Amino acid sequence: MSDFWVLFAKELKNLLRDKKLIFGLVIVPLLIYPALGKGMGIGIEKARGETHVAIANFDSGDYGSLLIRALNSSPNVTVTLVEAGDVEAALERASSLKQNVLVVIPPGFSESIAENRSATVYVYGIFSSLGTGMKESVSEGRINAIIQALSRGIAEIKVKKLGFSEPSALLSPIQARSLSYIRGRLVNVSPSVVSAILASQSVTLPIVVFLMVTLTAQIAAGAIASEKENKTLETLLTLPVKRTTIVASKIGGTAVMGLIAALTYTFGMRSYIGSSFGGSNVSLGDLGIRITPQGILLFGVVVFLTVAFALSLAMLLAIFSEDVQSANTVVSSVILPLAFPSFILMYTDLSSLPKAAAYALLSDPFTHPIVAYQWMLAGEYARIAWSIGYLSVAALVLLYLTARAFSGEKILTAKMGWGRRRR
Amino acid sequence: MEVPAVRVEGLEKDYGKVRALKGISFQIGEGEIFGLIGPNGAGKSTTLKILATLLRPTAGKAEVFGRDVVEEAGKVREMISYLPEEAGAYKNLTGREYLEFMAKLYAKGGRDADEMLELGVELSGLGERLDDKVSTYSKGMTRRLLLARALMVKPKLAILDEPASGLDIINAYTIRKTIKALSASEGVTFLISSHNMLEVEYLCHRVALISGGRIVEVGTPAELKERYEAENLEEVFMRAVGLEGGQK
Repeated sequence: MSDFWVLFAKELKNLLRDKKLIFGLVIVPLLIYPALGKGMGIGIEKARGETHVAIANFDSGDYGSLLIRALNSSPNVTVTLVEAGDVEAALERASSLKQNVLVVIPPGFSESIAENRSATVYVYGIFSSLGTGMKESVSEGRINAIIQALSRGIAEIKVKKLGFSEPSALLSPIQARSLSYIRGRLVNVSPSVVSAILASQSVTLPIVVFLMVTLTAQIAAGAIASEKENKTLETLLTLPVKRTTIVASKIGGTAVMGLIAALTYTFGMRSYIGSSFGGSNVSLGDLGIRITPQGILLFGVVVFLTVAFALSLAMLLAIFSEDVQSANTVVSSVILPLAFPSFILMYTDLSSLPKAAAYALLSDPFTHPIVAYQWMLAGEYARIAWSIGYLSVAALVLLYLTARAFSGEKILTAKMGWGRRRR
Repeated sequence: MEVPAVRVEGLEKDYGKVRALKGISFQIGEGEIFGLIGPNGAGKSTTLKILATLLRPTAGKAEVFGRDVVEEAGKVREMISYLPEEAGAYKNLTGREYLEFMAKLYAKGGRDADEMLELGVELSGLGERLDDKVSTYSKGMTRRLLLARALMVKPKLAILDEPASGLDIINAYTIRKTIKALSASEGVTFLISSHNMLEVEYLCHRVALISGGRIVEVGTPAELKERYEAENLEEVFMRAVGLEGGQK
């Protein structure tokens, strides 16, 4: 076994046996995220359950009764008629009956409609507690939809009475049908649905990349700083092994942990988003977007180089730190500001930015996995190749600097207690 | 002419404005046990670290078996084994895994890792505790493990900074006997730094007294005691640095 593999195996064994690390890397993404998503999903499911509507009818005409019948015959709606002298009393009664919504039909409601004047019906969401308000929101939406359908039905009857054979054409003379044209291909899906699908991808990816980069950077910094803290560094540096091999084994060991983090966090985030917000029935394939093996490979190289850059930067910073705590402080204060700009790409398309701003974003290596993903979907492989070139140079420069710093005596003599008060 | 195991000439080391070594020179013959003694801050650890290729001298020259510690650091590392004064082992590994890891890195050029491991297990004297994680070890147990690691590879030059620090009387005695035996049977050269004058007197063929970054005396314990008309090396040191009266 070569020196690299001996050191790599030790590095991996040491990291995999770190309980705190395993908790952050495996337990949090694989158990806690899905559990959070499940909890939120249950909340949404509950909100989508039965809507309990109280109705206070102060109208004596037929249209008020028609509205009550419409609500009564709607699925997932349970109607309770409340007798009250005024709206306030009706609200109190509805609240005591634990209803989600109170619909108030005011006096003269039917009369207004009969005389072709607009009539108003009041919908009150009843908040029994100040939680998310999801149930009240869903109930209100459901009632409004019923009222709108009834309103349109009444309008159509009235228009028909006036002698028009197609009342719907009169009420909605212009119909809009939305389609999307994606990379030269016409797709029978509205742009808003396409946007939602792409957005669901662009939300997960930056979060996963951010977590992966920050986590692996912390692990890398810890791998160096713990050698100082546990007084193993001096022995390590006097072993008959090249310093570059030591650095490479540390990067290798940490990169494996980064890969584990990427997989567990991708799974965890997908599970969280999937179970809390529900999936879409339309896939990327339905939009005519095909991800080729070549695209995946290029994207993988971009992610790998970004992680290599983060690891080298973290190690370089850790070399000058006194202990693990100092290393974590300095790595966080450098890596986090560098990783944050990738979130801008969650909401902004690079091509919509002014050139200077776009180049400024691209100068930050941590934004590259996000744009490379978009380029991969668009099949713009030449741009990914450009990204790989840039990241390779950045990662190599940092690796060289790290290896240099590791070869010198600064690694032993530098004792900067970043973020710590000196005694 | 025989190449000395260690040759140090006019060695200087500055830490910023502080001059830790002010031009020290000494030689160690092959198979010799050489002690470097002096108070805290005298420059002992700095000298050892330069010879262990960890620090670069500001001026002067240091060689191990004819190899320059700066220019040929890689070659020097193949011949040495260094035990720092304050050292630790990987806490998430077991003692056996730690020794195995080290043995694999030293087992080159036909040397057998299993043999090294066997010797390491024996020298550590930790028995079944070797299969427990290092994080569960006491300070003394960790020191025994580290000493076993340093000696099991039978280096050409063992550089030990306070080897018996943290060990009880029995363990310290055993380790001194091991050092003597390895020197006699395997021809291992030892450079030892210590505060413990009794230990140095018992172990070392020759000693160098270091104070304020300078070597003030070199000789065998018997020679030095005779020269300073002293009963032990402690008195020799006090007289050599002028802190106590006596003849030279």
